[in-house]
Amino acid sequence: MMRAALIVAFVVAGSSMAIRAQAPARPASSAAVQAAVPRAADGKPDLTGVWQGGSNRPGKWEDANNGLGVGGTGKDPNAPPSLGSQQVVTTPAPYQPWAAARVLESFNKRGIDDPAALCLPPGVPRLALVSLFPIEVVQTPQKVVFMYEYMNVFRSIPITAQHPPDIVPTYLGDSIARWDGDTLVVDITGFNDKTWLTGTGTFHSEALHVIERYTRVSRDQIDYEATIDDPKVLTGPWTIRTTMMLRDGTRVQEYVCAENNQDPAQYERLLKEGVSFRR
Amino acid sequence: MPRPLYPAAAVVALAMLGSPARAHHSFGAEYDVNQPVTITGVVTKIEWTNPHSFLFLDAVDATGNKANWKFEGYPPSALSRTGWKREVTVKPGDTITVFGWRARLGGTLAHSREVTFADGSKLFFGPPAGTGDGGTAPAVKVP
Repeated sequence: MMRAALIVAFVVAGSSMAIRAQAPARPASSAAVQAAVPRAADGKPDLTGVWQGGSNRPGKWEDANNGLGVGGTGKDPNAPPSLGSQQVVTTPAPYQPWAAARVLESFNKRGIDDPAALCLPPGVPRLALVSLFPIEVVQTPQKVVFMYEYMNVFRSIPITAQHPPDIVPTYLGDSIARWDGDTLVVDITGFNDKTWLTGTGTFHSEALHVIERYTRVSRDQIDYEATIDDPKVLTGPWTIRTTMMLRDGTRVQEYVCAENNQDPAQYERLLKEGVSFRR
Repeated sequence: MPRPLYPAAAVVALAMLGSPARAHHSFGAEYDVNQPVTITGVVTKIEWTNPHSFLFLDAVDATGNKANWKFEGYPPSALSRTGWKREVTVKPGDTITVFGWRARLGGTLAHSREVTFADGSKLFFGPPAGTGDGGTAPAVKVP
């Protein structure tokens, strides 16, 4: 209980500090902030651009990540070893007891069973939180396309469509979007059960339902929120928030994971030779 | 550039969650954070490959034995964003120093972090220790 309270305290503190870190020298009026949000021809906020999830620092990629290790330049040898630009706010995942035990087992195995280690597509919202790789968004009045450098996967999301009646489960599920005021709301269902939600071992079932909310609050920033529901493994909804920061000048590049993936063979050797690696 | 304000509390919250994967595999299963290693040697090869690049260098230990070390690191896209240039930054024959952590399997395999060049400048070749292995706490409450 004490630990949960601590986490909440840290989350609150982290949020307020992040806001302070981004505050301009003079407070901008809400109208000025609104005006700073680029808008498409149809008047909706335009999410088009290259973004870095899991970050709260404005600026070009090399400046925002300088010395902190998320693609950091390493110019500062005394930079902290942790990933300082990571900005992901959540609470402990509300897994059912049997499922929590499975998550804990993956944690104790240090994530050796991570599906992404086999170069399989990462799940949602994990894709939005991986700060090492950029995400390109292209928006039209009819659809929003997310192109992820990580694993080179994409989501082409129609606006104001319905989910098809008979969805074959997939890694990234079936996404449809709608506008709720200035927030793009993406409803995702039809997932297979082969991905992790975000942290180590965070598995789910095919009953997974994710609702993402993208709100471009300024030129530089999208507030991202994912509400995760899975009645087969969770006791209730689990919400994760992060910010995505605009990275002018960054291009999404090729990432062919299967090219030279030596890690599964290393894991097999660890297991075969009985090398101690558990926590 | 002034040092940006550092949202330390947010990082703590993240660490307690069990960090979202930043690379595609677990650091902690394969490499041992308790075995840091610093090797100075002559570069023999760099493999710019996905999902991870590899840096090889010949080094001589205190007893005069020569060994070829293999350091795992970032994928090519992350290296380029970190400041590495494929044909410029390091070439075979260059002498560099690499800091990282040794593989649990032993031998001369390690995970790289910081590379120091002959002129004293530095670049990261790989992510920090603890990447992708769940951080310091699981995503669920421990009963």
